[in-house]
Amino acid sequence: MRRSLPSLIAVAVLFLGWEALCRGFGIRPFILPMPSLILHDTLAAWPNVLAHTWATLGTVLLGFAASVAVSLPLAMLIAASPTISAALYPILVITQSIPKVALAPILIVALGANELPRVIVTFLVAFFPLVVGTVAGLLATPPELIELGRACRAGRVQELLRIRLPFAVPFVFGGLKVAAALAVVGAVVAEFVGADAGLGYLIQTSMAFFRTPLAFGAVVILAIMGILLFQAVTLAERILFPWSSGAASPPTSS
Amino acid sequence: MIRLDRVRKSFGSVEALRDVSLEVAAGEFVAIVGASGCGKSTLLRLIAGLVQPTAGHVVLDGRAVTEPRAETAMVFQAATLLPWADVLRNVTFPLRLMRRAGGDTEARARALLATAGLAGFEHRLPRELSGGMQQRVAICRALLQDPRVLLMDEPFGALDALTREEMSLELLRIWQGREMAVVFVTHSIPEAVLLADRVVVMSPRPGRIAEIIPVELPRPRGFEQEGSPAFQAAAQRIRALIYGGRASHAA
Ligand SMILES: Nc1ncnc2c1ncn2[C@@H]1O[C@H](COP(=O)(O)OP(=O)(O)O)[C@@H](O)[C@H]1O
Ligand SMILES: [Mg+2]
Repeated sequence: MRRSLPSLIAVAVLFLGWEALCRGFGIRPFILPMPSLILHDTLAAWPNVLAHTWATLGTVLLGFAASVAVSLPLAMLIAASPTISAALYPILVITQSIPKVALAPILIVALGANELPRVIVTFLVAFFPLVVGTVAGLLATPPELIELGRACRAGRVQELLRIRLPFAVPFVFGGLKVAAALAVVGAVVAEFVGADAGLGYLIQTSMAFFRTPLAFGAVVILAIMGILLFQAVTLAERILFPWSSGAASPPTSS
Repeated sequence: MIRLDRVRKSFGSVEALRDVSLEVAAGEFVAIVGASGCGKSTLLRLIAGLVQPTAGHVVLDGRAVTEPRAETAMVFQAATLLPWADVLRNVTFPLRLMRRAGGDTEARARALLATAGLAGFEHRLPRELSGGMQQRVAICRALLQDPRVLLMDEPFGALDALTREEMSLELLRIWQGREMAVVFVTHSIPEAVLLADRVVVMSPRPGRIAEIIPVELPRPRGFEQEGSPAFQAAAQRIRALIYGGRASHAA
């Protein structure tokens, strides 16, 4: 609490400065609305805003879940064999160089204007850092631990599940935190292109009618959503794997 | 029970061991000393079945060692504990991995930890322990497997001198109560003489056995024997072999 106080003050100062700027220079609300107006307009449309928020959150969570479900086995495959790694890594990198905004309309035409293409776009945006982080963790396992496993007659599968995977947990959570933030980005991108609900859709329709304050309100909610997801992952790590989050560095022999 | 017969081990163009022949009897305590890089760790890995000889044979109980065996256990220089598991789960890890954990495994682990002075630390994480305590956990982990061969690669190398002496005596006490051969790599000549029935002195490039020196000291051993003529004679001989023609004392 005491540590978050400076950042809370900084945010408050930022918003007050923003408010003063808008009032002082008489900036027109549809160009840059002041925070008080954003709050007012967002609250005025609250039930509507809330429905859009749930829609986006659903897409984010499904896309995030899909990236976890795909990334972890994929990372294990890549870490298990140099051949598989050589075959799959280029494909992964290609999926990352395709702009997802460009992919979204194609997917929507192919799969229909429903939840599925949005989840897929979210997944495509979010899963890469998770794969990379998990692979890094699996391969960073100290050779001494691997040798201990071999001395205990562990096979390849046991080595992966009992030694490499637990060792990779802090790396996995590093990837999960980035993926959680990116999932929000992915969901909004998908909603820009093809949706009839969601905060991305709300931003687009609001701007079409010059309801800029409401669009800003949606952006703020998206930011809060990203922060909360990040914190949820951090909290899950602390509860499920206390040894991971508490460790500044792996134990040394000193 | 362990027999190495003209063993050679090369890593690419590096000849780590040449023509090494050695027998270790059941229940015998053998120390290995020698300069860095003369193949001591490689020798232990060969006995453990972690690497295969380039030529020659490694035989344990009449059977060639082609893979790690359940009857050998290894203690490394660093404790190599699992950072995510508490002390108790670290100690039982090998047995669980080998599916040899039974109903009494946990009770035996607790008893072992207690004899190692670690009672009350069962549920601590490795990073909460000192280096000496971590190494004791690693030794308990090896002992819980009830090995007939215990391989130790500079197990006390990272510890301070006091902890080291204390743990040497502890190790002797544990060894005396078991039917267990120990192959113990160390850099410390006094440690080797204090612990071992025989000290294998190795020479580098390529790694060979220079000489095997029997230590004729009565057991139980203790540091008070360090002054005895037999102790001094053995230590002198080892020093002469390691330093060769070079002066073994400063002018
Ligand atoms: N896995 C390996 N690959 C290549 N060379 C190795 C390997 N293990 C050991 N060596 C080489 O073999 C020699 C003996 O090493 P080692 O057995 O670790 O010696 P010591 O334990 O006596 O210091 C060294 O020259 C080392 O570089
Ligand atoms: Mg070594």
